[in-house]
Amino acid sequence: MSSSSTPDPPPHLDLADIEEDELEVEQEHERALGEQRGAQRERGGGWVTLAWAAPGFLWLGFFLIAPLVFIVLMSFWTPDTSVGFVKDWTTQNYSDLVHPFSLDNAYWKDMWRSFQISAIAVAACLVFGFPVAYFLAMKVEKLQYQIALFILALAPFWTSFITRSVAWAYPLMGSHGALNTFLVKLGVSSYDHPLLNTQFTQLSVQLAMIQLYILFMVTPIFFLLAQVDRHAIEAARDLGGNWWSTFREVVLPQTMPGVVIGSIFIFVLTMGEYGTVQVISQGAVTTVGVYIQTQIVGTQYPQGAASAVLLVFILILGVFAITRFSNLREDI
Amino acid sequence: MAEGVAESNSEGAAPAAPSAQTGSGLDLIGLTKVFPGGAVAVDDVNLHIDHGEYVVLLGPSGCGKTTTLRMIGGHEYPTEGDIVLDGESLVDLPPHRRPTTTVFQHFALFPHRTVLDNVAFGLKMEGIGKGERRKKAMEALEMVGLSELKDRKPAALSGGQQQRVALARVLVTKPKALLLDEPLGDLDRLLQLRMRVELRNLQRQLGLMFIHVTHNQEEALSMADRVVVMNEARIQQAADPLTIATRPATELVARFMGDNNIIHGKVTERTGNRLLVEDAAHLRASVTVENGGGPAVGDDVFVSVRAAAVELADGAAGEKTVNSADCEIVFVEFLGDLVKLHLTAGGERMLAKVPGDRYHALRGREGETVRIVWKEGDVQLLDA
Amino acid sequence: MSSSAYAPAMERTQDSVVKRQYKPKRDWAKWGLATYFVIFLIFLYAPMILMAILSFQGYQGGVTFPFSGPAGLDWWRSIFVNEVHHGQQVIFTNADGIRTAGEGSLWVSLAAGAIVAFLAFTLSMAFRRRFRGDGVAFYIILLALMTPGFLLGLGTQIFWKAMNQETSLWHTALGTNTVWGIPFGFLVMTAIWNRYDDHIDEAARDLGANAARTFGEVTLPLVWTGIFGAFLFGFTLTWNDFDRTALLVVGNLTLPLEIVGLIQAAALRPDLYALGTATTLVSLAVIVTFLVVLTIRSRFRRAPVQSVEEELGLGGGIDAEAAEQVVEG
Repeated sequence: MSSSSTPDPPPHLDLADIEEDELEVEQEHERALGEQRGAQRERGGGWVTLAWAAPGFLWLGFFLIAPLVFIVLMSFWTPDTSVGFVKDWTTQNYSDLVHPFSLDNAYWKDMWRSFQISAIAVAACLVFGFPVAYFLAMKVEKLQYQIALFILALAPFWTSFITRSVAWAYPLMGSHGALNTFLVKLGVSSYDHPLLNTQFTQLSVQLAMIQLYILFMVTPIFFLLAQVDRHAIEAARDLGGNWWSTFREVVLPQTMPGVVIGSIFIFVLTMGEYGTVQVISQGAVTTVGVYIQTQIVGTQYPQGAASAVLLVFILILGVFAITRFSNLREDI
Repeated sequence: MAEGVAESNSEGAAPAAPSAQTGSGLDLIGLTKVFPGGAVAVDDVNLHIDHGEYVVLLGPSGCGKTTTLRMIGGHEYPTEGDIVLDGESLVDLPPHRRPTTTVFQHFALFPHRTVLDNVAFGLKMEGIGKGERRKKAMEALEMVGLSELKDRKPAALSGGQQQRVALARVLVTKPKALLLDEPLGDLDRLLQLRMRVELRNLQRQLGLMFIHVTHNQEEALSMADRVVVMNEARIQQAADPLTIATRPATELVARFMGDNNIIHGKVTERTGNRLLVEDAAHLRASVTVENGGGPAVGDDVFVSVRAAAVELADGAAGEKTVNSADCEIVFVEFLGDLVKLHLTAGGERMLAKVPGDRYHALRGREGETVRIVWKEGDVQLLDA
Repeated sequence: MSSSAYAPAMERTQDSVVKRQYKPKRDWAKWGLATYFVIFLIFLYAPMILMAILSFQGYQGGVTFPFSGPAGLDWWRSIFVNEVHHGQQVIFTNADGIRTAGEGSLWVSLAAGAIVAFLAFTLSMAFRRRFRGDGVAFYIILLALMTPGFLLGLGTQIFWKAMNQETSLWHTALGTNTVWGIPFGFLVMTAIWNRYDDHIDEAARDLGANAARTFGEVTLPLVWTGIFGAFLFGFTLTWNDFDRTALLVVGNLTLPLEIVGLIQAAALRPDLYALGTATTLVSLAVIVTFLVVLTIRSRFRRAPVQSVEEELGLGGGIDAEAAEQVVEG
């Protein structure tokens, strides 16, 4: 409902009232229109949609849902030395894990170590990755260059983690690797007792994790930064903001979803790491992933399952904490 | 609420173009569309359209005009009601079997095909051989003056060129009725104005039924044989452009068409068929109604007076004046050929339109008081 | 509106107008960040580059520096041939194992790519319209993305065992590997559908194409790059996968497994590096392919050209009489 064709209301009338009315009408229309558009998309739902969705969800049901369900089921079954497990219900597996709840328990020790590595990885990826995303999104002018450089940074992700771990472990970090050779030249290390490898194996793993996963943080932040309205930034500057306050008030809040996604991704994936950890530390460092894998290889299925379920709990807690933390930040 | 089966000929209507189509025309019968979730997009629409008529569905966003058009074209399925073309119901026919074709707002050209292949697409679907259909497509392209662009892809065309390709593409399939969904919306303004003329001429020459959806009042008045104003899923008024412009039937039509002064007041007197209406700001207007019918004293009514019918007069209006008022000039808006005077009378917004050469005399007189008058014959009683 | 407002300025002589030269301020932040970016790239690429360098060592080369020459393709050759002769020495290579693993990786990855392409496409088609339960459905796809491969491999092992089945590369690992590829492919297809103008499909229907022909003539040609992208995702993620496959497969049937197997057997020679570099090059080739395909696609994407002629209202002529011929002839 538009009123007459003139846009300026005369000064005697209450401007606020008219604007409010018109605004209300506009909003009503927007809402009705949005409803209509949203509703329109559902035309022809029914069996056509079902036919399209069926193959994918059946497949996922079999290869994703069922395995996860069976982990839970298995965790409640009884171990058996000959067959691996017997379908008798028990909670023994859990009590075995939970009751001696101390860091001496190998499981919790490994869990704690994994957690440390993951948490530090998340933080480090955020700190080191953010400037990369910022550079690409805000400082590179042409879109083609942005994308080209982004692909350049992204390319290593497309190679095998194992290969990169191998490349990390030996040519770079090995006792005769490039890095140690460099440290030897500096005089702080030697070929027989390489500084990083003997004393800081966990550090080595840590650094590798960062190198492997940092792109999971750079990517979402990059995409979000690219969508920040430049005009909003200009407006903030106009109103007197310096770089930091503009960043804090305008840019950072809009990147929070990316930070959250990246953090969740990195946290969840690194907690489950075992292959690369083994390669890099040559078995010296154990994570909860390694722990569980050992159980599986030793056909201790119920115990492995219980360990995995508890791991998932920790993962859920972690994700929850991350999302909570980000909400808190946003409110601030 | 004015609805019901709208007549196709009323005072002021131009006769429809001579049509090669014979047949009873298009009938929308009780057409209703309710979306899942409850939103009523179209509510009991009844309309008859003859072959050769240019009908414009006009209304604000969300009024149901586009949904109605889509139902005619088969891209939306009605919840209730029927769509009958020349005696045959279309409702069960999918779009590719209906004798209607649609020109979409953003043209919807196939980006991966050349202009020529775009135009030839409909013929390809009919099974016509490559040589033959390319020939016919070229004829269509020549008709719209784009034959040199035949090998281009749509992305390399301007908006106006894309629109002409879209037109060529649909006309080549010899439809019985052409549906146009905001066809001029994406064009530059001056091109819009030009295309109105081109499109209208085309329709006249072809004698084809055109159903055109727009929210642009000027466009509707300029192009239509009949304007169907819709709002909130219903037809408000369906009549020729002159009637819509000078005698809006409802408050919504009057407001939407713009440049109408709407007075919302009570009937204070009734002498025979002549009513006196007065509103809270003591603006008074008189209007004549049909014999016997109409509101009684004390009833709440809306009347409207076209801004173009409002004139400036000398002297002061005085207390008991009817069809006249003392106003303060708020803004003198110069629009080239005319001047819009934005006024306020006792808190009510009023609008007067005078010829552009009066600007010199009116410029800078904001704040002054002037007297406006209008004739009783120009006062329109509106349905609620 | 006289020119008097401007006259004084123009009357000023050249001498009294102070000429100033403006030098654009240096954006220190940009250069600082650019340097950081370069360091970052080095950090990312260094391991692989070092590995590549070491793969070109002579036959006496070891696993770490210093580089032992002469530089050559010895170790590269050794991943293909079974024996390498250096003077009197016969070195037995791992080529057999590598070949088996390579073939395994290749075929399984191709199959995974095809499955991911198909399922990502069908799933995204379902999501073109809203439907009941689409929230839950979306979360399942999200779950597929977030579940660590290790957990999935574990669960699949358990699931199979509980059904008294043995896991294998083709029956099990293939499916498990696709689970991570599907959400990526789905994301690609969703992005494509978001930019897709549904009216184009409607126009095709309008012009006489039934659903099948609309799909073949119009929809598919416009979205095939997304389907191909999903295929590439599926291929690459499987090509590189270790966590899932390792838990489900006995023996070194894929290249990542072979690589880890060699490490654990302490068979650390530069041929390992050649292998690693080779597999990396394959992955990089995939990206390049993807980019090439993307650029082909972007040719359609340009916005309509603005025409000044049209802005002025010229152009746009339609020959109405010719039209009559077209429509009625």
